[in-house]
Amino acid sequence: MNISFSERLFGLIAEVETISTSGNRVFTFWERISPPEDISTSGHLIEWLFNYTTYVNLFWFALVCIGLFGFSYLYSQKRHKIALYTHGNEKKHLLITAFIGLGVFLSVDMVITKISTRDMKEVFWNFPEGDDVLKVQVLAQQWAWNIRYAGKDGEFNTADDVVQLNNLVVPVGRKVMIQMTSKDVIHSFYLPNARIKADAIPGRYAKLWFDTTKTGNYEIACAEMCGTHHYLMKGQLTVLSQEDYDRWLQESQELAIATNDTEDMDLRWGWKWGSR
Amino acid sequence: MAFVEQHIHDAPTSFWSKYLFSFDHKVIGKQFLWYGIFFLMVGGLMAMMIRWTLAYPGVPFPLIGNLLFPHTGGVVPPDTYAMLFTMHGTIMIFFAITPILIGAFGNFCIPLMIGARDMIFPTLNMLSFWFSMASGVLLLASLCLPLGAAAGGWTSYPTLSTNLGQPGMGQTLWLLSLFLFGVSSTMGAVNYITTVITLRAPGMDYFKMPLTIWGIWLTSILNAIFVPVLGAGLLLLTFDRVFGTTFFLAGAAATSGRGDPVLFQHVFWIFGHPEVYILILPAWGIVSDLLSFFARKPAFGYKMTALSLTTITVLSTVVYGHHMYTTQMSPLLTQSFMTLTMLISIPSAIFFANWLGTLWKGSIRFHSPMLFSLGVVFVFGLGGLTGLYLASTSIDLYLHDTYFVVGHFHYTMAASVLLGGFAGTYFWMPKMFGRAMNETLAKWHFWLTMIPLNGIFTGMMVVGYAGMHRRLYNPFIYEFMNKLIPINQFITYSAIAMGLAQFVFLYNFFKTIFFSKNEPLASDNPWEVGTLEWQIPSPAPHYNFKEIPHVKCGPHEFGNPNLKTGRDFQYQTEELVEVK
Repeated sequence: MNISFSERLFGLIAEVETISTSGNRVFTFWERISPPEDISTSGHLIEWLFNYTTYVNLFWFALVCIGLFGFSYLYSQKRHKIALYTHGNEKKHLLITAFIGLGVFLSVDMVITKISTRDMKEVFWNFPEGDDVLKVQVLAQQWAWNIRYAGKDGEFNTADDVVQLNNLVVPVGRKVMIQMTSKDVIHSFYLPNARIKADAIPGRYAKLWFDTTKTGNYEIACAEMCGTHHYLMKGQLTVLSQEDYDRWLQESQELAIATNDTEDMDLRWGWKWGSR
Repeated sequence: MAFVEQHIHDAPTSFWSKYLFSFDHKVIGKQFLWYGIFFLMVGGLMAMMIRWTLAYPGVPFPLIGNLLFPHTGGVVPPDTYAMLFTMHGTIMIFFAITPILIGAFGNFCIPLMIGARDMIFPTLNMLSFWFSMASGVLLLASLCLPLGAAAGGWTSYPTLSTNLGQPGMGQTLWLLSLFLFGVSSTMGAVNYITTVITLRAPGMDYFKMPLTIWGIWLTSILNAIFVPVLGAGLLLLTFDRVFGTTFFLAGAAATSGRGDPVLFQHVFWIFGHPEVYILILPAWGIVSDLLSFFARKPAFGYKMTALSLTTITVLSTVVYGHHMYTTQMSPLLTQSFMTLTMLISIPSAIFFANWLGTLWKGSIRFHSPMLFSLGVVFVFGLGGLTGLYLASTSIDLYLHDTYFVVGHFHYTMAASVLLGGFAGTYFWMPKMFGRAMNETLAKWHFWLTMIPLNGIFTGMMVVGYAGMHRRLYNPFIYEFMNKLIPINQFITYSAIAMGLAQFVFLYNFFKTIFFSKNEPLASDNPWEVGTLEWQIPSPAPHYNFKEIPHVKCGPHEFGNPNLKTGRDFQYQTEELVEVK
């Protein structure tokens, strides 16, 4: 594995302080400030654009700092007794300013807008369709995530639906399409490991999709302030291999049919897939 | 311009008419300053409690914890935590920054810098202060309610802010308090706009006004247009809470009819986005002036700067959608909002270039107002550039509602505005209270504020990029954030350091005003600046100008090589010396 210079540098600094709170894991400083592990096929797009923005920002901010600190040093009253008398409205001044404005526009605005739009269009707003896609309904409430799978019949809100609390189980490598709404206040379904979120708003259906590249247990967070126990509204994203997932689905299915209480209307919170 | 006659009435003599119910713009400005500083301390204390909880969840707040939260042994409870960040945001934005930057500097500077004897509507001006006083009292009163103050975040999104999520009276009082604040702001805005239009001294063209006035004037225009929008939203939400309407209710709580919670977000951000420019424009104006004053050089590209500020003002009204990307509005809309938001960087780049152009080949005097102004250039550079991440629809999917956002808007609204406010306070202190503050302490104050300030807000952006989201009582419930504990503790130490540094300012401020009676008054023009207010005695006398001045040149005439007066600057009342 290649270790970049900056990682070495921060690693050296971080070796001094190696307090760890989760288990015995020791973090370098660089690891501490990195986002959580990316387990999606789309997360790298966001990271790429983030990094690009960082590089151009560093360039422009370096220019600001050179001007700010450089001029402060060169033209302090001690070093530069007599100021130049100019109003900065000559042609060359205007040209320089316009050039800077144009530079920012081309290097930052146009690139970010273009790539953002492309990524949204091709990936994040390009919702998958077809039988291959795992469809899940999510109902947010204070302070939990209700999760519903269609079950064998492929229809939502029927007796064989598998309903989970705070545990979204998905098979690795399969596209997951989520429709969600909220029972009470606005929540936001946030998957740090897939770099996405969407607001669950009462009276509306929001949608989002992701897919996974790794099995394991990850966290689902609520990102929108939803009351006193907002911080406890944590769910789990369980990514299983296809066989494990099939087994899990089979067991949950049998359990669901065995325990289903047809009288209890509270269990029928699902909705017809795709209804607005 | 001077078609309004400005009569001189006798100076008030009683304590009531002189200091409390005063019509004098200078007194009202000072009232707003006191008011703002008081709330700055309240909001600052709340920030400390928030920061303490984020670094040491479950550990009693030091020193005063037991006094404030006796039931939990000094630990901030989760419901109080929600109340604290709600009130911190509300207080800092509406009750600290707005009164200081707009109330205090707006009132104090506008008549003095445009050569008027007072505001055009002195009674409205007084009412504006007393409405904001009532509003502040309501807000503080809500802290004493049995169910506590509002706790739905400063944005108060329904349905959390309806009776469903906030059953107590706190949220209703919050709404009424902000409504009154809106009335006060609108009255102030109408007054400022009209004063600038009608009371400019003869010869004071728009393009001869100091940039401070440009900033405050543009702010007032935004205020007059958009604060009423907020008022409408607040009223509708009040109806939902009190009269049982369902404008913003949906889901299980909407028993009859159906509203839409997102509607409130639209109304709120139509106001809310201009609001951030409302807060920053006066600071930009002040900084643009001070950079020129202390670099002893005319403001570089003055007209371009003024026009850039105007362009930003216009653009700020059509970008609000970038606060709502995650509500999944139509892709067409989000793309338009993204593009429009990005456009703001062009005028911003232009006035940044002009700020640096002003420093270029100047002869810079590093007095305290200048240090703070340079500080604004630095922190606003960071704040502005980090906005680019959040304007992007795809990056926002990840960063929305994380601490990255918190770091970004604190850089732009808190750090820049606060430093700009300090710059203005140090600068106009001699004209306001008759004596300048101690320079050595002021410089200490600058460095002790500036260094931890960057620790706090850069730290916030770092933890935000690492995925930490906002408004969590205990973020470390989440396993992926456990590694962020040391960074959060670092942010908290920085916050405490910055908080303590403000006592240097308070000591300096109070000492100068109340305990320096034996020291001589400042000269008329201690900073050697040519704008109108520096031609009258310090502190500014009753009705400012005995004779209304005639303005003949711009506000930034420094370093003209043909000056024969022995000064390096020209007063605005002097004929511009030609350079052959």
